Amino acid sequence: MRASMSIWAVIAAALALLPFWPGAIDSYAFSFLFFVFIYAILSQAWNLIAGFGGQISLGNHAFFGLGAYATAILWSGNYLWGSLYESHPRIYYFDPVTMAIAGLVAALAAALVGWPLLSKLRGDYFALGTLGFGEIVKVLFVNGGDFTGGAFGIVAPSSTFDTLLPHYWTGLGLTVAVIIAIGLLMRSRYGLALIAVRDDEMAASANGIDTLKVKIAAFAGSAFISGVAGSLYTYYIFHVGPDSVFDLDWMLLPLMMTVVGGTGTLMGPVVGAFVMYAVFDLARIVVPDYHPVVSGLAIILAMLFLPKGLARIGFGLPGLVRRG
Amino acid sequence: MQQSETILSLESIQMRFGGLVVLDGIDLAVARAELVGLIGPNGAGKSTLFNVMTAIYAPTRGKVRFLGRDVTGVAPHKICRLGIARTFQLVRTFLTMTARENVMVGAVYGAGSRAGNAAQAADEALDLVGLSARRDMPTRHMTLSDRRLLEIARGVASQPALLLLDEPMAGLNPTEIRQMVDVIRRTRQERGIAILWVEHKVDAIMKVCDRVVVLDHGVKIADATPAEVVANRKVIEAYLGEPAA
Repeated sequence: MRASMSIWAVIAAALALLPFWPGAIDSYAFSFLFFVFIYAILSQAWNLIAGFGGQISLGNHAFFGLGAYATAILWSGNYLWGSLYESHPRIYYFDPVTMAIAGLVAALAAALVGWPLLSKLRGDYFALGTLGFGEIVKVLFVNGGDFTGGAFGIVAPSSTFDTLLPHYWTGLGLTVAVIIAIGLLMRSRYGLALIAVRDDEMAASANGIDTLKVKIAAFAGSAFISGVAGSLYTYYIFHVGPDSVFDLDWMLLPLMMTVVGGTGTLMGPVVGAFVMYAVFDLARIVVPDYHPVVSGLAIILAMLFLPKGLARIGFGLPGLVRRG
Repeated sequence: MQQSETILSLESIQMRFGGLVVLDGIDLAVARAELVGLIGPNGAGKSTLFNVMTAIYAPTRGKVRFLGRDVTGVAPHKICRLGIARTFQLVRTFLTMTARENVMVGAVYGAGSRAGNAAQAADEALDLVGLSARRDMPTRHMTLSDRRLLEIARGVASQPALLLLDEPMAGLNPTEIRQMVDVIRRTRQERGIAILWVEHKVDAIMKVCDRVVVLDHGVKIADATPAEVVANRKVIEAYLGEPAA
């Protein structure tokens, strides 16, 4: 298993070296791949709670938005670095501390809201509860006054931007890190508990698993990853507003990508993110007026002919078979 | 004869749902390494009593004590960690896992989790129920009989002092029943685990149990050796109805 994962390592290495290819940085493919990374990270996050944990969250866009806002607020208000910010005006740009806090803010929100939702609600009701949570967060940020910038949002200093290179590498690095982290997690005793809870919650608790704790941890982990993705997006877009970063698409697209790629598999969400984002983007370029129709059609066809996801075909590649 | 240590005791358990009294004043004790059968006609309250013991229901009145501790209404995962394992009447295995992964859950999270060496506990449990050869088989491909054995292995792997079996014979054919009886007997003998066994099939219980408890309409009507229970007038009436005058 470990040796066969090397094909993915080769792909990751090739992607890491791509910027050295003459003209690659200015090509369309470069920004395309950056977005694939963002969606791959978000898909992995959704897959953790829904695919491996069996808890369908429809509120993950809220965690993406919380991470984006946390980054913009810390940066524009200079809450972290004090006078250092004067001498180092780029200190917030891809600052690991800021990005980690963005993830932690999202994770904390997930733990707080997950406590009541995951202990009281199951299945469809949990899904609707998370959807409601997402809308509540959005409204709170619209009415957040100066702190959140109201309906307009917050602008971060875009003067720091000169190339997409750090975005590309950070996106790729985070994607690889998330895959490795979730891969290791699912081989650990925690992963065993998470699958047990997904398969049969009653049997899991009868065998000594604190199911609520396991579910909250998965939800918070999913939120952390989504929050970091939101932070990365802020460094690209420099403007966070309630209608942009709390848009339902930040949950719906990763959901579709994961389902098309293969729910509950390690590499399925990544393959799904690449394929679906290519389909969406191609439709947007070739048939700009009809692209939602083409994208919708692609999803319907995928579900009709690949009900278990692209990953189940396997392509002879490792990491695409559902665990167990 | 010296009485061995009591590990589980139910003290005047009453359970009512609204106006319906399902269990009324049940006292029951299980000693270390004892094999006790719990039988009774349909609706006698066997399953309800089972659910009280595993804290799925909190009794309206009465207490459940285990190893000297009051465990009435304690969360199910804590009950397991204290040393009570259980199986389910409608089998509950983790279907996307292999047989060994299922048993690993019990070994890693159960009462023996602090002792370490979960892998060894899991392999020994699989060996005990005779599933070693199928350890890497996905559970969803296993027969009902194998899944029932797997549930027992998962319980044994958690290294409990007491194993509660909820109708382990349901849906099994005669060959499988003989195999199951053998496994239950060996679980007690080789591992020293006390077993409280709820069953519909009375003959199987009578053959192997040290003691048989009979419930009828939520009341305990007999608690004695199998030989005494089959001769008990109240038990015969509960199963066959009152004799014609």
